[in-house]
Amino acid sequence: MYFRILKKDLKRKKTMNIILLLFVILATMFAASSVNNITTVLNGLDYYFEKADLSDHFIITLADNGDEIEDFLSGVQNVKDFRREDQLFFNDTALTKNGKKLADIGSTALLLPIDNGKLNYFDKDNEILKKVPEGYAYFTGCLVKGADLDYGEKFQLNLGDTEITLKYAGLAKDAFLGSEMFNNPRLIVNNADYDTLIADEKVRENNRSSIFYVNGYNSKTLESDLSDIPTNTFSKGISIVRTSYIMYIIVAGLLLIVSVCLILVSFVVLRFTISFTVNEEFREIGVMKALGLKNSSVRGLYLVKYFGIAVIGAFAGLLLSIPFGNALIRSVSDYMVLGNDHTVLISIACSIFVVLIIMLFCWRCTRRIKKLSPIDAVRSGQTGERFKKKGLMHLGKSKLGATGFLAFNDIFSSPKQFCVMTAIFTVCLLLIMSLANTANTLSSGKLLPLMCTQESDAYITDTDLIAKIMTGEKTYKGICEDIEKKLADNGISGKVSSEAMLFPTLEANGIKASPIFMYNSETKASDYTYSEGYAPKYANEIALTKQVAEKLDVGVGDKVKLTFNGKTDDYIVSALFQSMVQMGETGRFHESFEVPDEFITQVMGFQIDFDDSPDKKTIESRIEKMKDIFGTKYIDDTDGFVMTVIGKNVKDTINGVKLMVIIITAIIIILISVLMERSFISKEKPEIALMKAMGFKSRSVVAQHTLRFAIVAAVASVISIALCSPVTKLCINPIFGIMGAINGVDYNIRPVEVCIIYPAIIIAVAVAGAYFTALYMRSIKASDTADI
Amino acid sequence: MNNTAILEVKDLCKTYIINKRQNNVLRNVNFKINEGEMVAVMGPSGSGKSTLLYTVSGMDKMTAGDVKFCGRELSKLKENDLAKMRLDDMGFIFQQMYMMKNLSVLDNIILPAVKSDKIKESRSETMKRGQDLMRKLGIIDISDNDINEVSGGQLQRACICRSMINKPRMIFADEPTGALNRNSSDEVMEELTKLNNEGTTVMLVTHDAKVAAKCSRVLFIVDGNINGEYNINRKIPLRDRERGLNNWLLEMGW
Repeated sequence: MYFRILKKDLKRKKTMNIILLLFVILATMFAASSVNNITTVLNGLDYYFEKADLSDHFIITLADNGDEIEDFLSGVQNVKDFRREDQLFFNDTALTKNGKKLADIGSTALLLPIDNGKLNYFDKDNEILKKVPEGYAYFTGCLVKGADLDYGEKFQLNLGDTEITLKYAGLAKDAFLGSEMFNNPRLIVNNADYDTLIADEKVRENNRSSIFYVNGYNSKTLESDLSDIPTNTFSKGISIVRTSYIMYIIVAGLLLIVSVCLILVSFVVLRFTISFTVNEEFREIGVMKALGLKNSSVRGLYLVKYFGIAVIGAFAGLLLSIPFGNALIRSVSDYMVLGNDHTVLISIACSIFVVLIIMLFCWRCTRRIKKLSPIDAVRSGQTGERFKKKGLMHLGKSKLGATGFLAFNDIFSSPKQFCVMTAIFTVCLLLIMSLANTANTLSSGKLLPLMCTQESDAYITDTDLIAKIMTGEKTYKGICEDIEKKLADNGISGKVSSEAMLFPTLEANGIKASPIFMYNSETKASDYTYSEGYAPKYANEIALTKQVAEKLDVGVGDKVKLTFNGKTDDYIVSALFQSMVQMGETGRFHESFEVPDEFITQVMGFQIDFDDSPDKKTIESRIEKMKDIFGTKYIDDTDGFVMTVIGKNVKDTINGVKLMVIIITAIIIILISVLMERSFISKEKPEIALMKAMGFKSRSVVAQHTLRFAIVAAVASVISIALCSPVTKLCINPIFGIMGAINGVDYNIRPVEVCIIYPAIIIAVAVAGAYFTALYMRSIKASDTADI
Repeated sequence: MNNTAILEVKDLCKTYIINKRQNNVLRNVNFKINEGEMVAVMGPSGSGKSTLLYTVSGMDKMTAGDVKFCGRELSKLKENDLAKMRLDDMGFIFQQMYMMKNLSVLDNIILPAVKSDKIKESRSETMKRGQDLMRKLGIIDISDNDINEVSGGQLQRACICRSMINKPRMIFADEPTGALNRNSSDEVMEELTKLNNEGTTVMLVTHDAKVAAKCSRVLFIVDGNINGEYNINRKIPLRDRERGLNNWLLEMGW
């Protein structure tokens, strides 16, 4: 008998049971994929670096001095072990296809024979690359998108007097230089191809390069222990590699937020649907009680039913979570090996958790069965003892038409169910808005102060020029003068300067730190913004970021020992500031601090301030002209400079994530609108039939139902617009905080996007979902009043 | 009452297909209702009484035949025209006293008037008309009440008010007293009779001979056919009318 009632219930309430099943599938899919992604993101770089076997420190040399460095490293006590990876370096002009430049990467690329590799490199499926067929080359980093080749496509590499033809083998992931921020892509080839090139004497002379991966006994002091390294090398700790991935971590962090939102949405919807369906059962429960069934029997009946639905839904959701989770993480997986080793276990655990949560919801919701009495079967679920007023509005006093009034009145009469929808729509909208604000901020000049750079008219970021300083080919001042002269020769007069990056060692309270110090002789320290204290006024005053100050346990007014250029002096910390350079491990000298020209080996880019303070249009035309003068496309305005520093494709990646979130959100909202509207129709069938019997046209009833969703979406839009700024700060500030901007960022919120475009998308999607579902009401006839 | 037909039904057939089996609920039904008449449809359960009411009122589609309401053939009207006709010219009363759950009693009553453009008036005038109708039917005290807060009799009278709000030419009532006790039933029928006396045509379905005795004519339906018709002289006392009707029903095999 018990199972016959259950079977009949499943058959008769097919629609609501299917709706509940779909929500269970959604919840499991979101929960399993999201928890997996959260684990993956939290593992993040550590997982990738561990898999790639990256070391504590690395040294790059673009000269034939590998043996010299090897000798040096062997003499440093703190060096535990090191690995040497010999390869070739070349400019992007060396890569051609049919006589044309293959890709404009504007920087130095490397050619690594696979057998020389001392790190693990991965293919697109995250399998370790062990062999490369002869005549083939894998691309890493920005070269993949820049070259845009299909598998097997041929291209040429010209080094010295040798030209070899290679075929594209696919993308490879390089933990060390793979991020776009480094912009040093590698070609991973077979050793036979490498040997062909190295056989050329010119190549041996001009293109040999080595990378050393160094592990220390004390990784914290390794950087300062290696400070006496021979010149013409780039020697840094792993933190700079971490910094180079920061934008992917931002994207991964955003995915984490998306995942948390998806879990929230799915459980809220599930809780609502279960309570909604149980409340709809009052008639049956009343009848069963009238027939003499015990509370426990009635409750057991529903628990068995929901358990069955939960198990089936959780299993389907578990299967769907795998492709869905992969789709979520795809936006960053081209650059990083992201993952965890327990995907299946986590998914199964999440599915079991969803079933338990459903049963908990059901247990709580079915508590009401105790209170329901046989009278509920006849009194529409009301006990008759405590009636509550349902409608807050009065048709007689309202200015609204019948359809509009009914829509508003329904919302005010059942605030709980519409509040749930409003909350879900608001969360979805805020998610999109936060991502849009992040993407817009990352591509705007608002981040310039966080890059320790003053605003200029134009910026040259051509890595060939920057590399000249790094390799000692030219001095910093020499390049600035060259640029000024070249500009003057072409009728453009302006001052060229640069934010130089210096690498002193700081010590205070027995703690050492090696922040990057910013220095620009053409600007004043007082031109920059500080969060505490005052700008350095004298040469013996410095400003530090809060992170460095905390690391050294010093504050404003404290003294630190600073070692630079072989000299150690006491300096006073006069101010604290925030920066995103080297994840906030930054300091600033006063402009009068003396820096020998040869000590400037790294710059952010060359800033140009035109003498005649031209307007924006003139600047734009001059930038175009300068691109011809200097033969490079890497000349930008402020927004472009920020994007170049961050990584040109980062905005595209974040926009990709934004688009993906818009699509996911749209799908969620459509699903919620469709399923909610379908459950409303099922619940309100008597009223729909009655309205039709009274003479309401089908389109009026459809309009009333659709309008309810439009109102909910509009309310959600208003709430989202009001909360956009604080929520963006709340969610995204921690991500920028990882990058060093611990006091938050001035977000670039575009009113048209936030106030019009995204709300319009959400309203349109909700309305479309509700409208097309509401059309089902056409099948409800006026005469159905007789069957209710 | 005059001799102008407000509802003409010719060879009306209605067939349902249930589990691939054809069920002929109405078979060539023919009858006519004149303006101002109050006609009861009686018959055993499953004879097709309610189906007849819903089909002739345009709420359900007929399978074959002709139904003319106020001279307009229902089968030729589009869904929206039928809806407008129901809104402006017809009133409906159901056994289960269906009302919109989220509206107060008065709002339920005036809802069809707000939706219709038949009577040009302001919202406050509509409200006043609704209140007048409620006053007339003695339920003005419950105008602001929730529909769950009132008795069945009061609710059915509210349904009558709602059916009257657009001044329809005809009211269709499907067992309007079926869910009421005797006192409430008498009150509801009194109101319907009053409306009929004021000129509104009424067609009602009932099982109750006492209710049917208050009408001017009774149609007896069995297995989807009108098996007989009984005219009632409303000038004689109700008890005598009821006795006469019961005798006739016995003759018809009731």
